[in-house]
Amino acid sequence: MKVICLLIRRWVITLVVVSVVIPIESVLAQKTDSIPGVTLGLLYERGYQPALAIQPFSGRLGGETLASQVEGIIARDLRYSDRFEVMDSLPESLVGDEIDYQFWDQLGAVWLLSGTLEGAGDGFVLVLELHDVVYGDIRQRGRFYIRDEMSSEFRMTVHVVSDEIVDWIFNEPGMAASKIAFSRRTEDGNQEIYLIDSDGENFHRLTDYKNLTMTPTWSPDGDRIAFISRKEIGLPRIYEMNLATGEERIIDPDWRGDHITPAYSPNGKDIAFSVTGGKRSGIYSYDLELNCCLTHISGGRWDDISPTFSPEGSRIAFNSNRLGTAHPQIYVMPFSGGEADLISPYLHGQEGYYTSPEWSPIGDYVAFHGRVSRRGRYHILVAEVSDQGRRLRQLTWEGNNEDPSWAPDGRHLVFVGKREWGTGLMIVDTATGKYRMLLRGLDVRVPEWSPSLGTSELGSLR
Amino acid sequence: MDDSLYIGEIFDMDTHRIGLGMRIKDLLVPGLAVALLISACAKDPAPPPAPTGPTAEEIAQQRAAAAAAEAAAAEAARLKAEQEAAERERVRRDRAIAEARSTLRELVNFDYDESAITDQAEQILRRKVPILRNSPSVQIRLEGHADERGSTEYNLALGSSRAESVREFLSGFGISGDRLTTTSFGEDRPLVSRSDENAWSRNRRVEFAITGGTIVP
Repeated sequence: MKVICLLIRRWVITLVVVSVVIPIESVLAQKTDSIPGVTLGLLYERGYQPALAIQPFSGRLGGETLASQVEGIIARDLRYSDRFEVMDSLPESLVGDEIDYQFWDQLGAVWLLSGTLEGAGDGFVLVLELHDVVYGDIRQRGRFYIRDEMSSEFRMTVHVVSDEIVDWIFNEPGMAASKIAFSRRTEDGNQEIYLIDSDGENFHRLTDYKNLTMTPTWSPDGDRIAFISRKEIGLPRIYEMNLATGEERIIDPDWRGDHITPAYSPNGKDIAFSVTGGKRSGIYSYDLELNCCLTHISGGRWDDISPTFSPEGSRIAFNSNRLGTAHPQIYVMPFSGGEADLISPYLHGQEGYYTSPEWSPIGDYVAFHGRVSRRGRYHILVAEVSDQGRRLRQLTWEGNNEDPSWAPDGRHLVFVGKREWGTGLMIVDTATGKYRMLLRGLDVRVPEWSPSLGTSELGSLR
Repeated sequence: MDDSLYIGEIFDMDTHRIGLGMRIKDLLVPGLAVALLISACAKDPAPPPAPTGPTAEEIAQQRAAAAAAEAAAAEAARLKAEQEAAERERVRRDRAIAEARSTLRELVNFDYDESAITDQAEQILRRKVPILRNSPSVQIRLEGHADERGSTEYNLALGSSRAESVREFLSGFGISGDRLTTTSFGEDRPLVSRSDENAWSRNRRVEFAITGGTIVP
């Protein structure tokens, strides 16, 4: 009898595991687009992904009904992290109530999570244990405060747990406790800012200005969003909104020209943006703490736009059409000013259109999109800054793909994907090339992934 | 009692009632003549019963009245003609202003990814120059647009470059740059909401918004 049971278990689990690892798009699609003199290709670290099993979470003191929902959120977050083969949702009759290392070992699990959700005051405490199945031992134990399920922060407090598990195992940042801001074309033809959680839940509108309001960017602490809008003076201006209070301020509205493409410095002290139109066009920085003082960083008779800071804040990458309006390129220069280095693969006399740079929060990588062929397709590319465009990683191979933005794990990118079925937000794991749909069928623009929102205020009670 | 009350009174022997001089009244024609006739008759204490026709004096008065009416009509016609001429002039001027406005507002298109002024755009811009010279108070906002292809952010810059090209062109003809401001809507305000070559070529444009001043045609 026991043998039959084990066979059934194996069969069920094989089905579960196999069904989760098929990428949405085949990354082995033919590589017909090429840039002369540039190595373009898949440089994925197609490494081993450990299997992580989840023992069904139990509940106590009122946590019974919510336990499986919390478990489900964590299981999906870990699957979306693209770091594990996740085994979950196994029938309790197969798994049993007690931790059985031998059973999980036979299934090939390397890690096992078990958890108990207990009612506590106006929320819950999740007591979580990470087991090393091979050694048959508890590796980590934590207690996490989970907000009441009616709270708007309920899901975010669970995502914080998922990121903690990634940190326990890999000692690297996760990206579950994060949101993505973007703009979307509304019925009246305007653009408004929207937000969505990293797992595709909680999609909602942030602004209702009935105007062209777009290109949101997050402050490093995740408390504020800056964006452009024409809502007050009929010209694009930079606004900064405090997400908790809804308070808003406009940045130096009297400075002539269009103000576009804002980006925070990593310490949150400065905001850099572009002024276009007129002789004073270029990238400027503005001191948010002193609430004054525009400092000119770069610029000329051309347009320098879309600044993005290196993680340590000493350099910026940006987009410039100094080689001609048909040849926008990506450059890197010191934030304090100086010479700009080209990092996109420009070859004199060749076509080349590279825009929308974003510097990874971890390491010297800049993602952008480029028109890599005469067919006019746009694809997501990643360049290593020191490499000066000699080697590029191409991450998309189908449709049109624009405006990449890095997740706080420095590994995933969200971008606007245009396919035959329409436009949406897609996520690609730069390590494995796996895709996932985040939001399908909406006319979305310029997404910006937040930093980790697992702040101490929301975080664990270890 | 005033004498005039008796004028034209008729005493009816059968009914013993006094009626008004109906026959006299029947004969009276234009309103102006009535007053003249009544005042003339008033001098006659014993008016003849029921005059059979207008007297020479009455005819003269009627003629005078007709002449006065004619003169008044001629004056009215002259005024009307003057007004019509003024109206025609006003319409002509309005039309000239409207034409000038429409010339000023005629948009210019650009090649794909380019901000250079094309030959066709140059012809359109040259027609604006004399109007801008004649109308020194007119201020214009040059609004640059891009087609939907390419990146949202870069298209803001591209629209701005196009508006700058137009400003530089007009400045080259002596139109002060201070009268010309620029802004870019990027790809977000398409003229034609389709995704084909025709729509793209029409959406790559600079529009001219008159933001102040008086047009002198």
